[in-house]
Amino acid sequence: MKTAKSLLSNTLALGMAAFLFPYGAQAVSDDAQKYHRLYEENCASCHGSDHGGFLAPALNNETLKGRSPTALRTIVMTGSFDTLMPPFYGRLSDDDIRGLVKHLQSTPKLDNPAWTIDDMKASLKVYISDESKLPEKPAYAIDDMDDIIGVAARGKYGRGEGSKAVFINSKTHQKVGEIPTNAAAHIIDYNPANPRWAYVKNDTAEIFKVDLYSMQVVRSIKTGFNGPGLGVSRDGKYLMAGSYVPHNAVILNADTLEPLKTFELEGVDPDGNLVSSDSGMVIGTPYADVLVVALENAGQVWVVDLKDDFPVTKIENVGRHLHDAFLTHNGTKLMVASYDDSIVTAIDLKERKIIKKLDAGCVPHVGGGAAVQVDGRTLGFGTNFGDCSKTVVSVWDLDKMEVVKQVPVAGGTESPAAHQNAPYVAVDIISKDRRARTVQLIDKKSLEVVKTLDVGGHAYFPEYSADGKYLYVSAGYNGDEVAVFDSTSLEKVAAVPMESPAGIFSHGRVKYITRGLSPEESKGAHQ
Amino acid sequence: MKVLFISGALMAGILAATSADAASIYAGQTQAAQVCSHCHGVRTPSADAPFPPLAGRDVEYLQKALKEYRDKTRKSDIMNAIAGSLSDDDIADVAAYYAQQAINP
Ligand code: HEC
Ligand code: HEC
Repeated sequence: MKTAKSLLSNTLALGMAAFLFPYGAQAVSDDAQKYHRLYEENCASCHGSDHGGFLAPALNNETLKGRSPTALRTIVMTGSFDTLMPPFYGRLSDDDIRGLVKHLQSTPKLDNPAWTIDDMKASLKVYISDESKLPEKPAYAIDDMDDIIGVAARGKYGRGEGSKAVFINSKTHQKVGEIPTNAAAHIIDYNPANPRWAYVKNDTAEIFKVDLYSMQVVRSIKTGFNGPGLGVSRDGKYLMAGSYVPHNAVILNADTLEPLKTFELEGVDPDGNLVSSDSGMVIGTPYADVLVVALENAGQVWVVDLKDDFPVTKIENVGRHLHDAFLTHNGTKLMVASYDDSIVTAIDLKERKIIKKLDAGCVPHVGGGAAVQVDGRTLGFGTNFGDCSKTVVSVWDLDKMEVVKQVPVAGGTESPAAHQNAPYVAVDIISKDRRARTVQLIDKKSLEVVKTLDVGGHAYFPEYSADGKYLYVSAGYNGDEVAVFDSTSLEKVAAVPMESPAGIFSHGRVKYITRGLSPEESKGAHQ
Repeated sequence: MKVLFISGALMAGILAATSADAASIYAGQTQAAQVCSHCHGVRTPSADAPFPPLAGRDVEYLQKALKEYRDKTRKSDIMNAIAGSLSDDDIADVAAYYAQQAINP
């Protein structure tokens, strides 16, 4: 693993120069070029390489207009407590920080740069050309590959040594491997057809094909500048990745990572305007050979058939500012969150049309979604940022497609976790104060919050182990560990140290279409 | 380095806001640690950050260092501003907190 790691970072360092500076041509003076470069190297993975924002606010002459340069300089030096904004004191010189602030206050948001299928092809890297020489089974002790839990460790600065995908055996809570990802790891997906392959996407839209048996990267490709969208087809043959910058999505061969077809994301939004759009979630479904992508700004969901020239069926008017989604009913129905309408839209993927729009609290962010079977009903749980007076988690009856209850919780929420064998649905509270250190547990039967857990750092992305016995939670920002709890007693049983852990992804997800349902329910029940 | 007073004030704000709630799960010594950890981390030192790790360090040393920053006998723009707002009790608490943390790799 050591060699793989240094090999990878060397190759990355070489490759990086090529795409770090996409705007070189626009920079006029040497100074502008220098600060542009500092920005791309240190800030762009969070603030957007077009200065338009990503995980962090947009930084440009409009958004920073009239702001005191001194105050901005302080934020850059000390960072912003309890957020991802790291302190650059000691990493950048005082002069550079002053220069950067000046540069940011005078730079407009840049045009969406191009990243074509040819750019993608040129970025494809092969680290292991002969995959037949890879070991036939895991090089570490593990009962079942579904026991693997992958954690996207961001690293304090969102890039560098701390940025990696960390893989843990969820029965022993021991690390079994880690993959350096250059920029913060963001999404981890697993191949449903072959347990050895994982796909990791980082904050600069690079995708790494990882061999989980030998814990090394075999190939990588850069599909854009940022954007979290990534999905795998049910047969494990295709990937689809979507970007915020530029506004496109691409189908890749999951085996070779070669790009097969790109899609310009634009369409008529629910208000009748033709808009170019960020890519929201991308998802595969066990129900058919399709990959589905949400067009955030156009409010459309596109279903791409994985055949011929990848024809697209467009479902319009899904909502305003779509984001993420989850599947139900054997993968035939898709629940898509719409930020600006505060609804979740149920889509029938067979008919390729909207079934119904359901209330979803305010600014719904459903994470990977969660659904459980209780007393003969299939209940879905909807988290939401809750940027309004009442903070609730929505519970829907997914058979009848109606709201059952809005469960009051302590603050905004970002991601739910459930498991058929665990008594509680866990939701992470994200409100920007000490509540952010907590996860609340909703009893599946009473649909009430029964317990609040302090995880010792900014708590997010709860995830159950494949057997449902343990609840993993990222104690991110300054907790710097993944905390593991017994799912019934809620006692803390282990901690796995890493820098700024974020998303947690159980390999068990390949078995159930949505977390909380059993594999059987996911296969056939409730067609 | 006038600007750094802002972070000092912010720190004081954070410390004051949380100390009212003594019975909460946020025990006294972790309050400051939440602020300090933004730069120093808790148990896991950042691979890339230029800040000295504090976990598992000698408690006397930590207290002495913080008092020197507070008195400005030890100069550091950033630590002078931060330690300036700490009371003797805060220093004792946070030093004890960090000293007892096991170091992670
Ligand atoms: C790891 C992610 C990350 C990186 C890297 C990062 N930032 Fe930030 N930044 C954030 C977040 C998150 C916020 C919002 C903080 C808050 O809400 O208090 C922020 C806020 C800011 C703000 C305040 C914006 C406002 O409108 O108040 C400025 C200025 C800023 N960052 C500058 C920078 C600069 C300059 C760099 C590079 C040298 C940088 N950031 C790197 C995450 C990051
Ligand atoms: C904004 C970043 C930042 C924050 C927040 C911060 N520190 Fe520091 N700290 C530093 C820097 C930079 C140094 C190195 C200063 C020097 O050169 O002496 C340092 C040094 C120290 C040292 C000396 C370590 C040694 O090896 O001699 C101690 C002790 C310390 N800090 C404690 C704290 C405590 C306690 C807090 C919270 C109350 C805190 N720091 C918050 C940046 C920070």
